[in-house]
Amino acid sequence: MMFILDSLLIGGLRFVLDQVVAAAEAEMNDDTALREQLLEAQMRLELGEISEKEFHQTERDILARIREIKGRPQGAISMSPEDKVSGVEIESWNSEG
Amino acid sequence: MLVVSTDPAHSLGDALVTRLGVRPTRIRAKRHTFDAIELDAPRALARWVDANRVALGDVLEHGTWLDRDDVDALLDLSIPGVDELVGLIEIDRLSGARRLRASGASASLGEARPIRKRAPYDLIVVDTAPTGHTLRLLGAPELVAAVAEVLDALQEEHRLIRQQLARVGRPEAADRLIAEIGAQAAEIAERLRDGGRTAFHWVTLPEPMSVAESEDALAALDAIGVPIAEVVVNHVLTDLGPCPLCDRRIADEARTIARIRRTIGRGRRVRLIPAQLEEPRSVNALAAIGRSLVGPDQHVGSDPRVGPGRRVASGRRVVFERHGVPTKRGGHAGPPLPELLGDARLVFFGGKGGVGKTTVAAAAALSLAHAHPDRRILLLSTDPAHSLGDVFSARLSDRPRRVGGGPANLVAREVDAEAALAARRHDLESALEEIASTVGAAGVRIGGRGSELLKIAPPGIDELFGVLSVVGARTAYDAIVIDTAPTGHAVRLLEMPEAARAWVQVLMRVLLKYRSVVRAGPLAAALVDLSKSIRDLQALLHDRQATRFIVVARAAQVPRSETERFLERLRRLQLATPALVVNAMTLTPGRCRRCRATAATERSELAALRRLSQRRVIIQTPLTAPPPRGVRALSEWARRWIV
Repeated sequence: MMFILDSLLIGGLRFVLDQVVAAAEAEMNDDTALREQLLEAQMRLELGEISEKEFHQTERDILARIREIKGRPQGAISMSPEDKVSGVEIESWNSEG
Repeated sequence: MLVVSTDPAHSLGDALVTRLGVRPTRIRAKRHTFDAIELDAPRALARWVDANRVALGDVLEHGTWLDRDDVDALLDLSIPGVDELVGLIEIDRLSGARRLRASGASASLGEARPIRKRAPYDLIVVDTAPTGHTLRLLGAPELVAAVAEVLDALQEEHRLIRQQLARVGRPEAADRLIAEIGAQAAEIAERLRDGGRTAFHWVTLPEPMSVAESEDALAALDAIGVPIAEVVVNHVLTDLGPCPLCDRRIADEARTIARIRRTIGRGRRVRLIPAQLEEPRSVNALAAIGRSLVGPDQHVGSDPRVGPGRRVASGRRVVFERHGVPTKRGGHAGPPLPELLGDARLVFFGGKGGVGKTTVAAAAALSLAHAHPDRRILLLSTDPAHSLGDVFSARLSDRPRRVGGGPANLVAREVDAEAALAARRHDLESALEEIASTVGAAGVRIGGRGSELLKIAPPGIDELFGVLSVVGARTAYDAIVIDTAPTGHAVRLLEMPEAARAWVQVLMRVLLKYRSVVRAGPLAAALVDLSKSIRDLQALLHDRQATRFIVVARAAQVPRSETERFLERLRRLQLATPALVVNAMTLTPGRCRRCRATAATERSELAALRRLSQRRVIIQTPLTAPPPRGVRALSEWARRWIV
């Protein structure tokens, strides 16, 4: 049974973990996260979920924050942008490995 | 027996003088009866999706982390190229014959699967769409097979769980559906290539451009192993006594027919169908032609028209009208198009297959380029069966290039969807990967089976890349002149922006919904760009100053009915249609029986076209023999158009 679960779940699990790692990296690099927020706002504008006015407001805010980050001296956070999360360790209940 | 039309712009009903629909209409001839159908592909697809909605939805829900709402949104999207997909599947459903026969540029299918009930028809005759899309139709089974494989991959995980955990091995509805789709695709593909059950009768005209298109098409059919039973040359002029006009045309046709025998007719039966003095509308008129088609062929191998000892003129081009002749309506000759088009940025030329769209579009682009030397002009062909190169007697490709002897501000390009697909394959694979991971379809490996989808040029791809080409070129040129595919697919091209935008929106909604698990990557940026471009294009298309659609027609009854429906369709698509070009008019007829009959028909048809075209400008172009080819002949010809 464990073996079956393993073959079924590991692919999906690994995928989710990849995404967690990616999200963690993004948190470290504020600039990327902000750019994604901008992209998200653009998609909402295209879908008609937000108005041009709302979009421009969001865009202004995000661009201001990006400028702020760019101007901020490095070292204020404990990890530098060069640092990467290279993996996440998990303990599995699966003994057959 | 059943006759089916799969062309989205049907004219089967016009030929039979009967209103046809998706249900069989009984047609009575003198000795026989048969049924006729005009398929409505989008409706047939919607019906099929509804019938299989639960099973399809199950597959998508099991294989991805999409929920039912997402899945329903996906299933309700319109599928570009559905005419070709559904065409084959509907024919498969209707068929079940011992022997099939196809005609048009056409195919037919037969013989039922053993598991089916008795098939309703022994023989199905299929009237297909014009060349380019018939080739796509034949690629449809491979596409359906690839779709079945993707569905199968999505279902695999769920199947494993049921087998291993619930110990249920019995296939459920979704499994049966996938198996059925796969089997149907394989069977249709096999049947199309089986000369015992399917016969292709390739129909062409004795004109160099039709023959050049047929040569390309038959080479493509040979390459995929579809058997061609015979080549039918329609509308071959017969000798009705001395006439400077007809003699010249007959001599031209004789040369073209000799070329057919050397090329596409080699090793095949070549049938010549004599031109009728009156358009064969009505069942009895068609039956007479039909008898010469299936009966013993006395014409094969010899040209029936040029009697012994009759000499025909040869040498210089013969022009059958004088310069600047005032017409009875007080019209005048001159290059009317540049003024009419003003500063339009998109000019479409469209109409029924074979009316001369390409020649008219090429001549119009040339006169536009001459009239505005400061404007950069692109002449773009979106018909997958390109003829633009043939008109210029030049080799064209997907890269814009100047045509020999043409003005410096004019470039021409033939959209090559297959090449574009191959060139963008890497990008598209990454996009598909990203879609698969966004929706959690871990079972589908794009590098493997999924990429099969990208190897086939799927139906609809020509319209998609046609639209993308216009999107890409609209800022680089001051005006784009577009030579479209025949009517049905020109409409599909114009519907494409709307369809593509719906797809882009559904994908963006999915990306936003699952953004907590999957980051918005390059796909999101590409979708935003695409959505903006399509919005721009739609605004441009509906701007009556910027975009004009010029309909090209002939002064004959069957083309006129199609023109009328086409104009109505364009009106509903909110496009400006300021002019109608009535092509190849016999402006100064000879005195033979045919010339008199043709001139009389053209007069009454022109009057009918004037009535239906209301306030549109009507431009008449003269029939010439041979038809104008190359920059010089085209420019000269355009100067003789009459408003």
